[in-house]
Amino acid sequence: MSPGCAGQTTMINRTDLLAGVGLFVLGAAMAIEARGFPSLGGMAFGPDLFPTITAVGLMVSGVGIVAEGATPARRAAAAQAGEQARALWPMLAVLLTIAFFALTLPVLGFHIAAALAMLAAVRVFAGGWGLALSVAIVAPVITHVIFYTFLRVPLPWGLMAPLAW
Amino acid sequence: MDIAAILAAVLAPKLVVTVVVCTFYGAFVGAMPGLTATMAVALLVPFTYFMDPAQAVAAIVATTTTAIFAGDISGALLRMPGTPASAAYVEDSYAMARGGRPRTALFVSLFAACIGGIIGVAILSAAAPQLARVAARFSSDEMFWLACLGLSCAVFVGGASVPRNFASLFIGLAIATVGIDVAVGHPRFTFGINDLLDGISFIPAMIGMFAVAELLRNAETRDPVRLGRLKVEGLGKAVAAGWREVRGRKINVARSGIAGTVIGSLPGAGADVAAWICYAISRRFSRTPERFGKGHTEGMIDGGAANNAALAGAWTPALVFGIPGDSVTAIAIGVLLMKGLTPGPQIFSTDALLVYTLFGSFFLANLVMLLSGTLAILAATFLLRAPRSVLMPSVLILSMLGAYAILGSTTAIWIVLALGLLGYLMSHAEIPIAPAILGIVLGQVVEDNFMVSMMKAQGDLSGFFARETAAFLGVATILIWGLLLVRAGLELAGRRPAASSRETNT
Repeated sequence: MSPGCAGQTTMINRTDLLAGVGLFVLGAAMAIEARGFPSLGGMAFGPDLFPTITAVGLMVSGVGIVAEGATPARRAAAAQAGEQARALWPMLAVLLTIAFFALTLPVLGFHIAAALAMLAAVRVFAGGWGLALSVAIVAPVITHVIFYTFLRVPLPWGLMAPLAW
Repeated sequence: MDIAAILAAVLAPKLVVTVVVCTFYGAFVGAMPGLTATMAVALLVPFTYFMDPAQAVAAIVATTTTAIFAGDISGALLRMPGTPASAAYVEDSYAMARGGRPRTALFVSLFAACIGGIIGVAILSAAAPQLARVAARFSSDEMFWLACLGLSCAVFVGGASVPRNFASLFIGLAIATVGIDVAVGHPRFTFGINDLLDGISFIPAMIGMFAVAELLRNAETRDPVRLGRLKVEGLGKAVAAGWREVRGRKINVARSGIAGTVIGSLPGAGADVAAWICYAISRRFSRTPERFGKGHTEGMIDGGAANNAALAGAWTPALVFGIPGDSVTAIAIGVLLMKGLTPGPQIFSTDALLVYTLFGSFFLANLVMLLSGTLAILAATFLLRAPRSVLMPSVLILSMLGAYAILGSTTAIWIVLALGLLGYLMSHAEIPIAPAILGIVLGQVVEDNFMVSMMKAQGDLSGFFARETAAFLGVATILIWGLLLVRAGLELAGRRPAASSRETNT
């Protein structure tokens, strides 16, 4: 925490502002999209009714969260939490690992994709290279036994297809 | 129901093995800080896909029962509750452990959890069939109001402020609207992705919101858990001392067992809320309230009995009305639906054996927990030294392949990614997850019954109040909405503490 920040309060809690505006925009987009849905023969309502109610709910709660963000208690909370340093990259690395796995699973096959994903994940959670390599070798074997052999999930073999059994 | 048939079903080798294995799995996951009981169930679900319905519910029940107790292990030894349900009395158990009696503290928790759990399931098995008889007469009007009442209740008892609880609920309902609609079969919000026509698959959604969101939060904090040197007493001495403490507080156990079950049966109030309330009641009525928080067993017994009793309580609305009492039963309802079984009053006549097998597995799980719990206590220091750098990647690969196993397509992994990020952002903004889960599960029920009633009434809203029971439930729901508006007003005026960061999932 940098000096002098604890006592300062902002006009509004920034996280609340972002969350509230985000919910409002999401609700508005949903409501606009729902207007294009067909109606139920002869009735004034159709498949758009429930999504529209939900969309309005999202928008109203968004406004509520912004209003709450302007209360003294939430502003003080923002000032207190604002200076806590958060390491963002490990979180992003986990997301990228999942995206990588989803993209490469059909191409590389689950053994290779799982090995690479595990190698990355152990490193993200601060494991050494030795540990990461061991996990990357062992994990595909275990997942093969659990998911492919035991549960009979048709996992894609990808590059390993010539070796499939 | 024939007792012999129930016993045969519960004691079938396949079921007993499932219960035993899952109590150990629950003990392991529950003991790990950062891995919650709900996460344990979310990761288990892909495996239940390959089990028969009775085995699947037994697995869920056994896992949660032990995981909730095992949350006390890291609570006592590290002052980090393994599950949010252990947070209420963590100061007491940690103080006892620091005072050289870690095993006694854990055996107090284990015995209280076991008896509390048994009280909970005894009440569940007595009350649920009676309630089901009443619920069997409900039409779409009553079911619509009941689902609304359940959702409103989740908003009312949730830990956060009114707008945040509502935001969570509507996020869940919004997710539930994805897919082909029931009225005319129009695809909604599918963005041309065929895998989304059936809606956002429930299990990948749960895995994302509970396992991956938790993983992302764990990725943020890089401090490894350090377990200092600990003086540990002998096993026999600890068991005897633990039992003596619990036996001396029969009234506390009974009171919190009953109160925990009732609190657990309220939608949205899970094991953690039950533990907090019963701990507070215990302190209020204690002869020595000044000793609470300093290694006193009284509050631990109340909280420990309440959180395990709440697990059984949460199954009451889930089985009788199809409305989950907490996140775990929300997942369980999803599992049953996946197996073609619709929880609701009719399940007591169509699948009575399944219901009674569920009750039986609860009893069995609480008894087997004595064994797995004891082993977990013995292995506690070893368990807590498991490296995070292997544990978290294991959760990751189980999440991704588990989701893939259900849908058989990489869309499942993208759902896990998207909802994991959503769950992470929600917790960052202090928006609770539990109401969203209820929204996802109940969204379709609410919409189906709403549309049927709307069509019956030709769009006339007064039709929703035409039947006596429906009118009563409708008025109760509207009353809760009114109270929520008043509460939101008070929160904004600063008269009532707003958003607390306490999570409402178990």
